[in-house]
Amino acid sequence: MRDTLSRRAIAAALAASIALPAMMAPAFAQDFKGKTLVVGVWGGDIERLLRQNVVGPLEAETGAKVELVLGGTGDRLARIYAEKANPTMDIAFLNIYEAPQALKDGVVEAPDPKSPLYTEIWDGMNNGCYAMSLVGLGIAYNKKLVSSPPEWADMWKPEYKGKIAVASYPGSEGDGLLGVAARLSGKDEHDADAAFAKVSELKPIALTYTNLDEAFAMMDAGEVAMAPMISGYVLAALKQHPDIGFSFPKNPGPVLVRDMLCLVKNSPNPELAKKFAELALGVKNQTDYAEQLYFGPTNKNVKLPESVSADVIDTPEEVSSLLQLDWPYVITQRSDWTQRWNKDVLGQ
Amino acid sequence: MRSSTPLLFLLPAVALSAVVFLAPFAWLIYASFKTQGAGSLLMADGLTVKNYARLVADSYFAAAFVRTIGLSALTTLLTLVVGLPVARLIATGSGRAKGLLLALMLVPLVCGALLPSLGMIHLLGPLGVVNGTLKLLGLTTSSIKFLGTTGGVVLGLVQAFLPLMVLPLVNTLSRLPRDVEHAASSLGASPLRVWRRVILPLAMPGIVAGAVLVFSAAFTAFVTPQVLGQGKIATFGTVAYQQAALVLDWPFASTLAVVVLVAIGLALILSAQFDRLLRRRRLAA
Repeated sequence: MRDTLSRRAIAAALAASIALPAMMAPAFAQDFKGKTLVVGVWGGDIERLLRQNVVGPLEAETGAKVELVLGGTGDRLARIYAEKANPTMDIAFLNIYEAPQALKDGVVEAPDPKSPLYTEIWDGMNNGCYAMSLVGLGIAYNKKLVSSPPEWADMWKPEYKGKIAVASYPGSEGDGLLGVAARLSGKDEHDADAAFAKVSELKPIALTYTNLDEAFAMMDAGEVAMAPMISGYVLAALKQHPDIGFSFPKNPGPVLVRDMLCLVKNSPNPELAKKFAELALGVKNQTDYAEQLYFGPTNKNVKLPESVSADVIDTPEEVSSLLQLDWPYVITQRSDWTQRWNKDVLGQ
Repeated sequence: MRSSTPLLFLLPAVALSAVVFLAPFAWLIYASFKTQGAGSLLMADGLTVKNYARLVADSYFAAAFVRTIGLSALTTLLTLVVGLPVARLIATGSGRAKGLLLALMLVPLVCGALLPSLGMIHLLGPLGVVNGTLKLLGLTTSSIKFLGTTGGVVLGLVQAFLPLMVLPLVNTLSRLPRDVEHAASSLGASPLRVWRRVILPLAMPGIVAGAVLVFSAAFTAFVTPQVLGQGKIATFGTVAYQQAALVLDWPFASTLAVVVLVAIGLALILSAQFDRLLRRRRLAA
């Protein structure tokens, strides 16, 4: 009996010693089986690229499921704040004017300066969270009404009175416009009176748009001459609108706007979240973002073809030419400025 | 003992609704007495009436409140004017026509607020069907602004909430015995007089019910004013949305919501009083 037992034991041990290493690999891959990574992000083209470059490979590699919760940043900010004690979301894509505050309030993980994620991104871009893409607030314009790429000051010329459109406020476009307007008056965004006085001179506002199609249609019809818009989507969409141009002004430069990738603090799947972030911020995804959406890559290792590079913010020189607002200050003014915008600019 | 048994069976359902339905409202009221710390989105400790003070102190919110009441009242009136003949037609109609009208009436209720509003944009927009037709006929050279105006928002609200007026009216009107009208006419009353003296007074309960529904719906409407107002017509709903989803001042947005709840509660109480008054007068008569 003992003999057979020991023989059996040896056989089992032998079998195990052979099988174990073979099992190790799939066992590792299946570590995340049954787990679901929850990511809050914008829909549309961004969702499409993330599914293709990040979600697909990540699910294949780890066996985990990735759930994309689509919507605006307001929804996911509300969610991660409400669930601060017990988060169910792992990653939230936020705007630059939201990320530093989320970090300060302890709902997102501070970017780790030692991680490759951090060091591969342009210096000084990881404010609050990891920088995902760089875009600039410039001017979209009707080429028939505006003969050459306009400067900011041109929006205030009498011949364009009543033909300027703005995006709904609060938002990066409005904050950027306030920052530019203040500088045209020799001040900066810390002087809200100067900023609002200057922006109010643009009245009557031709259109307060909430989607680009609406604004482009009005521009094609000649009812809007210029509108401050964020590069990226706009440049991609302009392929269908030959009569609309996009100008990166010089005095001051375009306002730097960033999408941020935030790791939610105490999230249920921190390891998966990190893997997701690596793929999202990786060269492949960021190259696709640049080539298809004209979103400037934050990853230093992305090399773009000449034709794409011209429309995208992708060199250190371009980055340093951008106008950087004091976003942490702008955030604290949000409530007051919204009120002033409603009253002074929209005349409610 | 026996009579309390059904109540016992009701208890789980009541408890569930209390938790699922009332708890969020309780939280809303609680949150309306909180504030966010300086430079933070987290709620600060302690309770305060600061949000309510801000609401009263800033004329912007008072103006939005009054504007919303005005818009809702106008919407209620217009749905009544448009809805009465339609409801009468449905109530007195028969067969396929009646069914078709009723089904058409239900469409806005079924498809939600967003789709009709988006459709309205294509009709009323600067490059929409209406402006296009006007330009084609040479009646105007530049687009007429319908969107972003009070008129555009009211039009959208009437379109969206007409069924809420028509359905209660159909209910009351179809129960009116035709004999009463025939009696009035045979005694020499003109059709207008029949409407004024017979049909309208008898339809009053339906009118009150429809008015309350339309008023409450218009008062809390958010999608229609947001889409058709293009951010230029601030109603209480759009202001609350702006505070909650864009400014991220959730406590203040809660305060706005509580004010709306109280206002609608008051409207309900008033209408109930009015209804009771009507009934008493009818009994006295």
